[in-house]
Amino acid sequence: MTEKTDTMRRALVAATLAFGLAGGAALAQEKTTMDPRLTTPGKLTVATGDPVYPPWMMNDAPESGEGFENALIYALAAEMGFAKEDVVWVRTGFDEAITPGPKPYDFNIQQFSVTEQRKEVVGFSQVYFQPDKAVIALPGSPVEAATSYADLRSARWGAALGTTDNDYLVNVLGVTEAAVYDDQAGVFQAMQAGQIDATLAALPTALFVTAVQVPEANIVALLPPDPNDRGHGLLFAKDNPLIPWVDEALSGLIGAGKVQDLKNTWLVANPDLPVISE
Amino acid sequence: MKDLTTEGAAARRPPPPPRRRREWRAALVPTLISLASIALVFGLMGWLVTTAEHWPRIQKQFFNLDAMLAAWPRVLQGFWINMKIWLIALACIALWAMVLAVVRSLRAPWFAPFRVMVVLYIDLFRGIPALLLVLLFGFGVPALQIPGLPNSSLFWGTVAMVLCYSAYVAEIYRSGIEAVHEGQRAAARSLGLTEWQTMIYAILPQALRNVTPALMNLVVALQKDVALLSVIGVRDAVREAQIYTASTFNYSSLIVAAGLFLLATVPMARLADYVTARDRARRLQMAR
Repeated sequence: MTEKTDTMRRALVAATLAFGLAGGAALAQEKTTMDPRLTTPGKLTVATGDPVYPPWMMNDAPESGEGFENALIYALAAEMGFAKEDVVWVRTGFDEAITPGPKPYDFNIQQFSVTEQRKEVVGFSQVYFQPDKAVIALPGSPVEAATSYADLRSARWGAALGTTDNDYLVNVLGVTEAAVYDDQAGVFQAMQAGQIDATLAALPTALFVTAVQVPEANIVALLPPDPNDRGHGLLFAKDNPLIPWVDEALSGLIGAGKVQDLKNTWLVANPDLPVISE
Repeated sequence: MKDLTTEGAAARRPPPPPRRRREWRAALVPTLISLASIALVFGLMGWLVTTAEHWPRIQKQFFNLDAMLAAWPRVLQGFWINMKIWLIALACIALWAMVLAVVRSLRAPWFAPFRVMVVLYIDLFRGIPALLLVLLFGFGVPALQIPGLPNSSLFWGTVAMVLCYSAYVAEIYRSGIEAVHEGQRAAARSLGLTEWQTMIYAILPQALRNVTPALMNLVVALQKDVALLSVIGVRDAVREAQIYTASTFNYSSLIVAAGLFLLATVPMARLADYVTARDRARRLQMAR
């Protein structure tokens, strides 16, 4: 409550300041840091997951700017004219992010995949990253010897809820009865319990998982992206008026090669792994 | 003499109360008032909801007919899994809880260690949240990879539900057993029945009848709690609905699942009401 009133007071002060600066002649200008359409004018309020995982954001600390997605946000904020300290982070769960209604932030970044169906109820920025999918399995799994989609289809699959991994299994591999767990942790518990043979993840996630969280698991193959899954975008409330502005800034970053630089810094280039594509 | 008294009693019997006539007329006004107030209250609630600023968006994301139809086949498929688990678990719980309750109610001294075991069992499984049991059994036990045991999450999840609900049901059975009058036991024993026979022929039939309403309650609760198995990867109705929601960001599938659960539990609740009313009439010997 106090936080809210605080924010409101700050917003009020910011608004009054803006009025003062503009000589009271006009509303604070759009597409500036004082844009009245921002959740808190003067600040860029960005939501992300709780917790967040490397390499998307390192050490569960978005404000450090270390990691692909938070570095991207700071670059984006700079492009839009915000100072580093004007970026405010809030944490949300997956379901909070997709429910209808006003949101206490400008947009949300946590590897949300852009799909046509989702676009009907939420807003997305343009895509900033399109990962490959990686097949993860424990040693001895039947997918280790797989060379085709048909081989993969015969395995027992698991996927995490809230990801597009299950959609990938259904749409691309034709696996319709994968076990679906609450989160990635559940998937790996089931894998260690011998209940599933393999799972899928975006390649950067897969690299982190197999390096740190479940070191005994390996990436056994790469799969091409799902054509229905456009890749990761920033998530907005439906019809948020900020989308064109953010898209413009994002285009600037992509055009200047800054997104590619961030990929090179934080995301390992595609490792040398077999690719199964049919 | 005997005949005379009966006749006399008949003659002195108070006249029957006048038959109430035109009851519908007396009931008309209250019925109209009830209907009007129901219409008013629900109408007002409906109006409040549908005129809310964000209603169109909510409607699109929660009550979208197209999305409901799209989610329907998978959610229904998941619901059959709920029903199967529910029925199998019910049968196992009914039997296992009975064993627990009977053992706990036996009084012979050499049953003491078994009584202690049952008390410990009930404390343990009634004291741990069902969700935790499902996770421990669904992920933990198969991870031990004991040869010869199945490792399916469906199997172990059902085991967890059976173990948990048996603890509750055993206590309900026991309360029924203890509610049977001590004289019944004494009478059965005096007829020469053994402790087992007394339990099976004299005590249990009465005990079960007394606790049926309480048991019906748990039957309904179990029907919904089967959804807990979704956390270990079982694709029940709730999980199928969540999968649809996660993929499309549309919650209408959850409404479909909720509707299916209601379809199954509301008749159960009415049945429970009916059984309770009949039982009450029987016990209190109320005129019907």
